[in-house]
Order: sequence, then structure tokens, then C-alpha cells
Amino acid sequence: MMRYALAAIPVTMLTLAIPFVNRVEPRIFGLPFLLAWIVLWILLTPAFLGLVARLDRSP
Amino acid sequence: MNASVSLGIVGVGIASVLIFATLAARRANLDPQEYIVGGRSFGALFLWLLLAGEIYTSFTFLGAAGWAYGKGAPAFYILCYGTCAYVLSYFLLPPIWTIAKERGLLTEADFFAERYGSPRLGILVACVGFVFLVPYVTLQLTGLEILLRIAGYSTLNSATAVGIAFALMTVFVYLTGLRGTAWASVIKDIAVLIAVIFAGIALPIHFFGSPAGTIDRVLATRPHWMTLANDLSAQGTTWFVSTVLLTALGFFMWPQSIAAVFSARSAATLRRNAIFLPFYQLMLLLVYFAGFTALLVVPGLKGPAADQSFLLVVQHYYPSWTLGCVAFAGCLAALVPASGQILGAASLVAKNVAGDGFGYATSDAERLRLTRILVIVVAALALTWWLVARTSLVGLLLIGYSGVTQFFPGVVLGLRGARPPATAIGAGIVAGIAVVVIAAALGAPTIAGLNVGLFGLIVNVAIAFAVSAMSRS
Repeated sequence: MMRYALAAIPVTMLTLAIPFVNRVEPRIFGLPFLLAWIVLWILLTPAFLGLVARLDRSP
Repeated sequence: MNASVSLGIVGVGIASVLIFATLAARRANLDPQEYIVGGRSFGALFLWLLLAGEIYTSFTFLGAAGWAYGKGAPAFYILCYGTCAYVLSYFLLPPIWTIAKERGLLTEADFFAERYGSPRLGILVACVGFVFLVPYVTLQLTGLEILLRIAGYSTLNSATAVGIAFALMTVFVYLTGLRGTAWASVIKDIAVLIAVIFAGIALPIHFFGSPAGTIDRVLATRPHWMTLANDLSAQGTTWFVSTVLLTALGFFMWPQSIAAVFSARSAATLRRNAIFLPFYQLMLLLVYFAGFTALLVVPGLKGPAADQSFLLVVQHYYPSWTLGCVAFAGCLAALVPASGQILGAASLVAKNVAGDGFGYATSDAERLRLTRILVIVVAALALTWWLVARTSLVGLLLIGYSGVTQFFPGVVLGLRGARPPATAIGAGIVAGIAVVVIAAALGAPTIAGLNVGLFGLIVNVAIAFAVSAMSRS
């Protein structure tokens, strides 16, 4: 259950959260906020899946 | 002169890659399992490169840049859906692989036939998969034509050039099968990475100092370009979220993707892939930068012409060898996925329709020979269709993704111990596709802001449950 909850976090941030981050400011490294948010969560997705994999290995 | 330099690079490049991959993939003993799913032997890195090679097609790049150019923020949905699909794949693909390994499955239709005990359901899935795959191959031909036309500075008979490149690729698939596609993917991924870094970083720096500078300039004239419409309009936030969810479900439902999944060495390989595939998505960010730069440098392209945007910038402002290198990467991004798609379509017909349906070519040697013959038939069909009826394909392409997504319920339910009857799954697929086709015929991409594929999926599941309940009582 914990594994699914962990995996659901990046998916939620890249779907349901999108209407709430749909803005230009503040710019981050020059990126508009919406795009920066998406890029941030793409970078975090492997970390979340890595945690899931760790849970898989030590049940 | 210019054209011969850039086209020379493209031609020599493509020929070298195909020869290299043919030699690298050569195997003394070919059987259907080796030819169609690489003998289930691909390790994590090789599989990662194959999946990236098949997933990121010429239209991922041309289309993503085209959307950034023509629509702005709606283009970001491509970043999101791939990433969500990789998360889903962590849980979904390993059990599919395990079943395929135990039962010796070769195709996606095999999975349905085996899990629901019905070769007829396998034939239905094979036919549906085939019908959506052939237009997908022709889409790659269109991508190839755009690239060759621009690389040739419009001096070239591009239909002939497309035909030659495609014929070479077909011979290559005939000889090597999926292992050849995987080796060609290695080169393709490297070439595309270099081209994308050039287009996404060097172009913005050249014209506007940096990618951020490009974005500043776009926002100065188009303040709403980097955000979504906050409403139920055609490409507003509701569309965005529903489309990301729908396409994430359909992502690995393409028959050639399932074949790539079957080629993994182990279930753990697929989990490792799921963890690392999201990094590949970041290439698209660079493609958006290229599209935004093109919007400022060569404004005014309308409709499908927007897909050519950043190539035109390279053509106008850079030497012919640079254009040749970028076009070479782009052509590989059309040919490599097409090779996987052709093999996928051919194996569906050979194994599930001819073999399971008509009891034809059931020994290993016959099946291998028939699959190879069908590779040539499918390629010829796609090329002919593309030459004769380019425009009429657009309709099929638009529904292809929503169409294969209708396999999703059957795949997920097929992993469980207690499974619904085959008729329920078949009826669901037919009903879901009917909804998608009718919506496309009426020209309705969204209903109340939601992607129509989701409605297809809802009808699909509802019908499957209804038929399942009826057959039980």
C-alpha cells in the first residue's frame, strides 16, 4: 500500500496539481513556473520509484 | 552544392547505421522468439536504449516543437504523460513479462488469447493492433519526407528518397528482427541527443543569449503562451489533466511496446527501466526551447507546417553540414520506430491471425519465414497507402492512441487470478473503439473539456462488466 502511495505522489503532481500551478511567476532558472514545476517532478520521479524499489526489496 | 552536402551526410549516415546494426545483430540461429522478441535476453541498458529508440519518434520531436511553436503550454502534456506512464510501468510491466516468459508469448494478442483462453480474442486484438499500427508507420514516412525535403533544400524528389530509405530499412528488419532495431536504437539515441542539445541550447544562445532569454521574448509578445487556459476550452487545464491520464494508460499498450517489454531479460530489468526512463523526458524540454526560438525567428507557419519550424531555422541560419547532421538524427528517429512498428504488425498477423486463426505456419521455421514475408508486405502496404492517400490517414492517426488504450482494461484484468470471460473483454474493446471512432467522425476531440478516449474507456469497462455479469447469470 505504501508503495502505491509513494508512486501516486509524482503522478498527482503531474496531473491533478497542474491547475493550481498554472502560472508564469515566479520564474525558476528562467523557466515559467508551470514548466519548472513539471521539470522538478520529472526529476523527482526516479527518486520516488527508487524508494518504491527499496521497499520491494525489503518487505 | 548545399543539398549534396546535407543529403550526403543523411544518406551515408543511414546506410552506415543499418549496416552496423545488421552486423551487430547477426545471429546464427534465428527462431521466432529471437526474431520477434530478441530471445528475451535484453539487459537493462540495452532495453532502456531500445525503449527510448521506439518511444521518441520523429513526431515526438517535430510534433513537440510544433506544438511549442503553434500552441505553447499545451505542448507540456507530452512531458507529463510519459513520466506518468513510466510510473505505471513499474507496477504493470513486470507481471506481464513474467506471464509472457512462463507461457512463451510472442505478441500482445498472445497475452489476450492465453489469459482469456480464446484465440479468437487474440485475433480481434491482432486486427485492431494492426489497423492502428499501419497508419502509425505512415506517420513516420511523413516525418521522413519533411526531414529529407528540408535537408535537400527542396531540390529533391522527396517521395523517391523516402521510398529508398524505407526500402533499405525494410531489408534491415527482414534480416535482423528486434535485435537489429535495438542496435540501431543505440546509434539513434546518441544522434538524437546531440541534435536535441544543439537545437535546444545552441539555437537559443545564438539568437537570444540563452533559453531563458528566448522565453522572456516569447512572454513579451505572448503573455499567455506559457500557461494553460483555466477552463473547459479545447486545450485548457481539464483537457490537459484528462489527456495526460488517458495517454499514460495507453502508453505501453501499443503492440510494438509490448514486444519490447517481452524482450527484457528479467522482471527486475523492467523495474530498473521504469526508474530511469523519466530522465529521457528532459530531452523534450530542449525541444520546446527549439520550438520557442523558431516561433521568434521564423514566425507565421500555420497548422502542420509548424512541425518544420526549428528545422527551417537550422536550414536558414546554419551551414549545410549542420543541417545534414540534424536531419540524419531526425531520419533515424523516423526509421527506427518504424522498424519496430512494422515488425509488431507483421508478427501479429503471422502468429495470431495466420497461425492461431487459420492453423497456418505453426512450426518455428515456417512462422519465422511468414513473419519475414509479412514484414515486406506491411512495409509495402504502408508505403503504398502513404503515396496514395496521405490526407485520409489523419483521421486514423488521431484515434490510434485512444484506440490502443482500449486494450488497457483487458491487460490489467488479465493479470488477476479470476478473470472475466473473453466475450466480455472483446465486447468492451469493440465498444470503446466505437465511441472513439464516432467521436472522431463527429469531429469532437473533447467532451466537456475531457479527452474522448476517457469516455471510450468508461464505455469499454461498463460493457465488459455488463457482459461478464450476463454470462455468469
